[in-house]
Amino acid sequence: MKRIVFLPFALLAMVVLIAFLGNAAYAAEPIIIGAPLSTAFLYGWDAERGMQLAIEEINTEGGVNVGGVKRPFEMAVIDTRDLEPGVPVSEALLVVEKLILENKADFIMGGPVRSEAALAAMDLLSKHKKVSILTTGVLTPAYHARVAENYEKYKYLFRITGEAKWMVGGEIVPSLLFIEKNYGLNRLFIMIQDVSHARAGGGIIAKVMKDKGWEVLGEPEIYPTGTTDFSMGLLKAKRQKAQVLLIWMDMPETSILLKQWYDLKIPALPFGSIIAAAEQPGFWKATEGKGEFTLANVVNAGNAPSNATPWTMKFFEAYKKRWNIEPEGYGTSTSYMGPYVLKDAIERAGSLDSDAVVAALEKTDMKGVYGRIKFDPKSHQVIPSLDPDEGAVGTIFQWQGRKRVVVFPPKIAMGKIKLPPWMK
Amino acid sequence: MHILIYGTINSFSLALMAIGFTLVYGISRLPNFAHGALYVVTGFIVWSFVNILGIHYIASILLSLILTGVIGAALYQFVLIRVRGMATSEIIASYAIGLAILEGLRWRGFKGMTYTLPVFIEGSIEIAGIPVDFQRMIVVGIGMVVVAFLWLFTHYNKIGLALRGMAQDERAAMMLGIDSDIMALVAMALGSSLAGLAAVVLLPLGNIVVEAGYNVLILAIAVCIVGGLGSWFGAVLAAFMIGFGQIITVEYVASHFHMVVALLAIIITLILRPSGLFGRQKELEERV
Repeated sequence: MKRIVFLPFALLAMVVLIAFLGNAAYAAEPIIIGAPLSTAFLYGWDAERGMQLAIEEINTEGGVNVGGVKRPFEMAVIDTRDLEPGVPVSEALLVVEKLILENKADFIMGGPVRSEAALAAMDLLSKHKKVSILTTGVLTPAYHARVAENYEKYKYLFRITGEAKWMVGGEIVPSLLFIEKNYGLNRLFIMIQDVSHARAGGGIIAKVMKDKGWEVLGEPEIYPTGTTDFSMGLLKAKRQKAQVLLIWMDMPETSILLKQWYDLKIPALPFGSIIAAAEQPGFWKATEGKGEFTLANVVNAGNAPSNATPWTMKFFEAYKKRWNIEPEGYGTSTSYMGPYVLKDAIERAGSLDSDAVVAALEKTDMKGVYGRIKFDPKSHQVIPSLDPDEGAVGTIFQWQGRKRVVVFPPKIAMGKIKLPPWMK
Repeated sequence: MHILIYGTINSFSLALMAIGFTLVYGISRLPNFAHGALYVVTGFIVWSFVNILGIHYIASILLSLILTGVIGAALYQFVLIRVRGMATSEIIASYAIGLAILEGLRWRGFKGMTYTLPVFIEGSIEIAGIPVDFQRMIVVGIGMVVVAFLWLFTHYNKIGLALRGMAQDERAAMMLGIDSDIMALVAMALGSSLAGLAAVVLLPLGNIVVEAGYNVLILAIAVCIVGGLGSWFGAVLAAFMIGFGQIITVEYVASHFHMVVALLAIIITLILRPSGLFGRQKELEERV
């Protein structure tokens, strides 16, 4: 009789115990990832979505094992507005500080997105010994150069995405030479946005391509952020008989540039070394198809469909299912990988201690969405490559019909470059 | 030749952006700092009519112009009328409305580059070897029509004459039985519709983005300050000066100084002739 009385209590105790153990990750204190992102712009909102997706997947799998305790990730996003014209860098710094002091972020991930803002935030992050992983925007080589120069101070800072120096030397220049070899085009007209990374990138490309025997037509045309009329520059390109238009702009108004390029039938192939507007699946609709034949660099694989690694299309489909849109452009796949790389490092470190996590991150060696992910131990820059088995691989695609067809690097190419009819 | 062609196009674009602003100020002495927001709102209204409600493009444009006029009139009737005559309050109130509209649109998800309007006519022609698309030619055509319409309206139409009377001397106009508030309301509605007209003509050349509201406001203010606040003729002349100045700067100096031209024009005007080319508001004070 006594046993029968105690049976329901024992069952109840078991149910409670199972429920408790099952939700251990959620009962545990969450690990806060502070994300300073310019959420009104592509490189901000796609990064947020990428990170959110990874965090949901990780939490569904039980969370992060921190020294034997399963803890979930939680993301705190604040808009830095640093990609918007006229917004001072100080706004982004305030956001980073707020994430650290008010949101009690354990780690910073994502941005700030604009190079100038990220460089300015370096000291702040170091002061708080906050491990930060840049996953979007920020292409300036100055970032990882500063880490290498002053390792002790900046050792908490990592960048998991590409940077301008490799992008130019390792991807853009080889793909321009590929275009010259296969299509005989070698007259370059450069149009860039008036921001640090574009000025630097445009200048380097001009110099390198001159050395490679290309005819670089005049100085790069520089446009302020928010420009909506490019017709004079395009006419100049036509007058100078340009054959390739190299565009380096992260503002959404570049879709206007491509519409004007089509309307004026400029006989030069548009090549976006950074061209935020053309990266997105909505570009076709935004230009009413006038942007066809535009080449766009999305910095890392996974931001356009390809088979770089077995994880690439798995991520691509998961993103599409979660957000009802294909991965949108630069910053998506890298921001998705950010939480996975951090999880891996925390689990190896066995704690959230900044120095321990830094040491673990330096030993990262993981096959991710865009190839092998390893950090340079001195500069904390992800090691790039043209081969996904060797390092983080990039992607250049061309708009063909309504599709983004990867055309470079050859290891992951899904098609060949086509010229617009008025260039044939 | 390309400077002449694209300078003319740019000038008419600026004139279209500014004429509504100067009309409202000229008649009611109300600086409508929500002008840029009304420009962007019209773009989104047309886009919504076409893409959500499935209304024909032309009908959407006409409806949106009427709707923008109504919005402008409502802003005057329910907000701005209360602060009329208090210059600082007028600026703060209208700027706050503009800010609320633009940032509200951004907050509601109207961001990115997927909001576009189709051009009226596809294709382009060559004028003296310079390619020009039809939409830009339409900008020039509509710019001319608007300037001509406003001149005829204010010279041969009863309401237009009343508006002109108000612009010349509000007290004298009131003594002749012209209702100052009604005329200001009409001016605000007409000015808002003109901001909308500029939007439907110019936005097909690019996309509808919130940031355009701020740019349009700055350019409209630049044109009006250079031309003389409240002077329609001055605004058109200033649009040509700044318009050609921008194109010449892009061609011979550098493209990134494009926006500097308008701002520099404001500074030079304020130093040399604060009332602008044809502004009469402070001319007497300046002489004194």
